[in-house]
Amino acid sequence: MTTATGRKTKRISFDEISGFLANTIQDGDLLAIGGLFKQGRPLALVREIIRQRIRALKIISSPGSGFDVDLLIAAGCVAETFLPAVTLETQMCPSFRRAVEARTITAHCVDALSVVGGFLAAANGVPFQPVAAWKGSDVIKHNPLIREVTCPFTGEKLFATKAIKPKLALLHAQEADEFGNIRHLSTMTYADQMIARSADTVLVSVDRIVPSADIISRPRETSIPCIYVDAVVEIPFGAHPTGSFPNYSIDEAHIDSYAAYAEAARKGAPSGDADLHAYIDRHVITPQDQDSYIASVGGVARMEELVAEAQSL
Amino acid sequence: MMTSPSTNHRLEYSPAEMQAVFLSRDLTDGELGAAGASAAIPMAAMLLARLQHAPNLSIAGEMFVNPYPKQLWSSMLDDRALGACEAAETFLELFAHSHRGLDFFFHNGMQIDQYGNINLHHIGGTIDAPTMRGPGAANISYAVTSRRFYICTSVHTKRTFVPKVDFITSPGYLQGPESYHAAGLRYGPKYCVTPLAVMDFDPTTLRMRLKSVHEGITVEHVVAQTGFDLQVPDHVDITDPPSLEELQLLRDVVDPKGLLRS
Repeated sequence: MTTATGRKTKRISFDEISGFLANTIQDGDLLAIGGLFKQGRPLALVREIIRQRIRALKIISSPGSGFDVDLLIAAGCVAETFLPAVTLETQMCPSFRRAVEARTITAHCVDALSVVGGFLAAANGVPFQPVAAWKGSDVIKHNPLIREVTCPFTGEKLFATKAIKPKLALLHAQEADEFGNIRHLSTMTYADQMIARSADTVLVSVDRIVPSADIISRPRETSIPCIYVDAVVEIPFGAHPTGSFPNYSIDEAHIDSYAAYAEAARKGAPSGDADLHAYIDRHVITPQDQDSYIASVGGVARMEELVAEAQSL
Repeated sequence: MMTSPSTNHRLEYSPAEMQAVFLSRDLTDGELGAAGASAAIPMAAMLLARLQHAPNLSIAGEMFVNPYPKQLWSSMLDDRALGACEAAETFLELFAHSHRGLDFFFHNGMQIDQYGNINLHHIGGTIDAPTMRGPGAANISYAVTSRRFYICTSVHTKRTFVPKVDFITSPGYLQGPESYHAAGLRYGPKYCVTPLAVMDFDPTTLRMRLKSVHEGITVEHVVAQTGFDLQVPDHVDITDPPSLEELQLLRDVVDPKGLLRS
């Protein structure tokens, strides 16, 4: 008896990311970003979006986002956002604020349930998700994702929130096998599992690729099965400067240094825009691979500090 | 720092510690509650209550169940603060939590008005053409479905406490009883706790009124720092200061790095 061989690997190399993006996302498409705020954000993949000069993107995420969205806006990649909360938590996102106030981007007024409900509906293959927990907020009046509906059973007035189907989702996790079985080791996985099920195409960066046998030995821990994943790429510290727990912590100092440039630019400081663009050149455009990027943000020594912080928690 | 004359030790404590201690005392054993992002004071309040008098208080609703952080963090929704917990949930469960509601939740705002409405979206202009765009908010439903919520702010100024918010991100009592009932709201803010004072809401008018001022703060100062006509009852208490035991638990166990004192 012979058995079939040749199961296709979904693993791609860092150098193949640009080609993958060229085939899966175009100017004006809806891009979903995994993680939340300062954890599990696929920053290495986001930087490749910027290097590929993909423009006029519509951005969606789990309900909390910050650094990466602000960077995409500063780099001129964004036209519209569908993001409930955009903040660095200890301060506001300068480029987001500047672009919305200058009306160079449109920040749609959405909340967690409209976004989570949209992912949920798309993941379940239905056109909308009912919501009965909205009252009294002005967000309801301005939210483009929702419509008022009548419950067919009780006659109650409630809302439907539209299924959200991103063209491409970029996620980051700690481990995967080459077939695209993803394993989060972090406690928080946020909306990653739902986003993977809702997007047309899913690209996941991981801290390391593990043998398939390792995945099979603990199937309950596979957080996103391969059937929802199109490609996986190993990128050590691929979430930096956000954290990838338990492997490495959040580089708050780097995020703060970016925010200082972006805030100076927002306030119209004399060399504000030039300094912000120099940041993007230094950390996004110039480093063509992950080693060069790491060297640009403090090198292995800094990464070791972030590893140590994660281990101390 | 404030100084407590009410004990032998003349305890010194920060306004944020006063806020955390006040809030912790109002949480009841057996309740279920949560806080969102940037919520160091609420997290301290919940953890302190769990240590002090409410061992069966459950902290859940935002993707985790019963966290055991080793210290407080200014950023509250990542594995640093929540990685040690009894269970991890995801945003899938947020849908159910938001509809069932919690016993209590905490909110903060760029603007807060006399009816306890909260604005995190914009100041000036319109939502489409704002003079100043804020961060927005993730979950606007806990204000609606939770049995009560607390407003907990890091500042108490006329810029923050305005007669009418420019945008209602999370509803308090809207424009008073008529609009509140017309919108189908059933719950709302219980206390507004600031670095200066504690406010509650008049049950008839649903307007904010002064309940107590923290030690060393005058009623006149609170009124002057409030941008609307704050209701002041004939008698205003001094907020009961932290006890030695409360401060020790707060500093030794909940906040050993002193985030609430920085």
